[in-house]
Amino acid sequence: MIDIITNMLAMCIPFSVALLLASIGEMFNQRAGVFNLGCEGVMAMGAFVGMLIPFLAGGGGSVPQWYNALGFLAAALLGAFFGLFFGLVTVTFRAPQGIAGIGLQMFGVGTAGTLFRHFVGGTQSIPGIPDVDIPLLSRIPFLGDILFSHNVAAYLAYIFVPIAWYILFKTPWGLKVRAVGTNPRAADSMGINVSRTRYEALVVGGALAGLAGAYLSVAQAKMFSDTLISGRGFIAVALVYFGHWHPLQIMGGALLFTLAQTFQTIVQSMGISFPYELAVMLPYVLVIVVLSFTSRNQTTAPTALGKPFNREIRT
Amino acid sequence: MKNLLVLALVLILPFSAFAGGSVESGDTADDAFRIALIIENTIDDKGWCQSMHDGITQAIAEMPDRNIEYSYAEKLLPVDAGSIARQYVAEGYDLIIAHGAQYKNLVMEIAEEYPDVSFAFGTSSEIGPENVFTYMPESEETGYINGLIAGTDTKVGIVGLVGPVDSGDSARYNRGYVLGVQAVNPDAKILVAHTGSFSDYVKSSEVATSQLSSGADILTGSSQQAIGALRATAESPTAMWVGQDLAQLTTEEGKLKCIAASAYNYAAVVKELVEKIESGTKGGECIPMNFANGGFVFDYNPDLKADWVSPELEAMINEAIASFKADSDGTLADWAAVDYSTL
Repeated sequence: MIDIITNMLAMCIPFSVALLLASIGEMFNQRAGVFNLGCEGVMAMGAFVGMLIPFLAGGGGSVPQWYNALGFLAAALLGAFFGLFFGLVTVTFRAPQGIAGIGLQMFGVGTAGTLFRHFVGGTQSIPGIPDVDIPLLSRIPFLGDILFSHNVAAYLAYIFVPIAWYILFKTPWGLKVRAVGTNPRAADSMGINVSRTRYEALVVGGALAGLAGAYLSVAQAKMFSDTLISGRGFIAVALVYFGHWHPLQIMGGALLFTLAQTFQTIVQSMGISFPYELAVMLPYVLVIVVLSFTSRNQTTAPTALGKPFNREIRT
Repeated sequence: MKNLLVLALVLILPFSAFAGGSVESGDTADDAFRIALIIENTIDDKGWCQSMHDGITQAIAEMPDRNIEYSYAEKLLPVDAGSIARQYVAEGYDLIIAHGAQYKNLVMEIAEEYPDVSFAFGTSSEIGPENVFTYMPESEETGYINGLIAGTDTKVGIVGLVGPVDSGDSARYNRGYVLGVQAVNPDAKILVAHTGSFSDYVKSSEVATSQLSSGADILTGSSQQAIGALRATAESPTAMWVGQDLAQLTTEEGKLKCIAASAYNYAAVVKELVEKIESGTKGGECIPMNFANGGFVFDYNPDLKADWVSPELEAMINEAIASFKADSDGTLADWAAVDYSTL
């Protein structure tokens, strides 16, 4: 039994990274008052570009690790560009954020698939990033496998969580982001450039969504296909609500969701007489249940979320 | 308005560089026999959709005396496939294949509207209307062969199975796999888990990783999502794979890990469909696929065969295939009785 628990927990960290990065990125968007449903599309583009660079360099064979790093960098830059584009549509042109997000999702997924077919062809794998056993620490019984035997990108993603917390709550920029997402008119009257701050948050959020996609294609599945993201972008949006727009709680949500995923997989594999359809639904049901019980306590919700800001119009 | 048009052109032009027709072969002469394929994934997914596309192109190549035109439409959900199916009807296609049981309602609806056109969908063992063919791979046979290999080659007595959903040919393949393992290794532990999706590669890789962590050293999987599980298996230094599609043998990880694979030979089905339609039968039949009628092909990985397929195992596999060919209805008739909760 202890082996089963160890295996389950050991899989949680690497499998939760894509959700974690995407939802932290979405948190920055929403904290600034912009609701970005296009996360799925940005992840798809990030996954494609992240995989494309090591694939072109090695033709599917092994390449120096810096090509993978270059893939991540390209995914982040492309994600940032998509964030900028979304800002143009929703901040400058003040398009309805929900509709624009759905458009971005469809555009990203479609473009990634189209470019993939043109530059790569069929479903293709790459060697990707290997797991690294941290010397000495990985030998600690129980904890070694759970915490210290993962790929470098997973470690960096988890290190970024407290950094995100610090940026959001302890820096002037974080204060601006929270201000424009809570009361943009007051922020504007205090001399904060609301549009610029929202653009910046969208660029950061887009970059993180791009990285999340690249993590799936370069570090986790080590392949790309049109359907690689499969709704994870939308789960990331839900996790932001689940985690009350707070990086640490979002991390808890990503881990809990992934734990439920691995738990249901193990339940199935153990041959327990339980309909697999219900097992597969378990993580999603969990999110709905937790959201239902916690939605009343939304004091941290950005009150200007989803509302375009126009300083010429008094509301 | 002018600016909007310019913007639209700027957005559309880059995509035109990647646009391509999907007419695969033949010409548009009036006497041509026209086949259209509608699929939910892509023709190069190394799984379900590719196997039908490959089967059609192979069938066309094997019927050089016939003038066959072939087109395909990819990434079509059932709700979106109706318009393209009607377009194919309008263009005079003789046979429209909607490859997947999810297209059943669509096919039934359009078939009623256009009784002169033949439609086919699968997997399904239903007997459809007079202008609808169905096809059903009896995949328990291919699963059984792979199960024989897994049960024999496992060193720890634990094997894994990554399924998509428990229905159609996947359900048959998976249960055949269980029967095969149990035939040679009754004490083996068989880990069975479903992803709930035919195309979620990430989830199938997660399920495979979970089974590898639980000790499984031979894995298999069905539908296109299995590629994700195969990729995860390649990360293990010791675990191996048995595949449900020959395309898996040619992938980088398949060359290293896939001991053998079996695949659907849709060419046999397509040839039979063409012949039946040309002889006046427009539907109302279910075409089974099995080893007996050439609906399945099986092959080993030449680089791994010597190490992983002993002469005794090969003899056992040959014997099983021979028995399937001799009695396609009876050898694994009890496949549906397999209960995963008792494993």
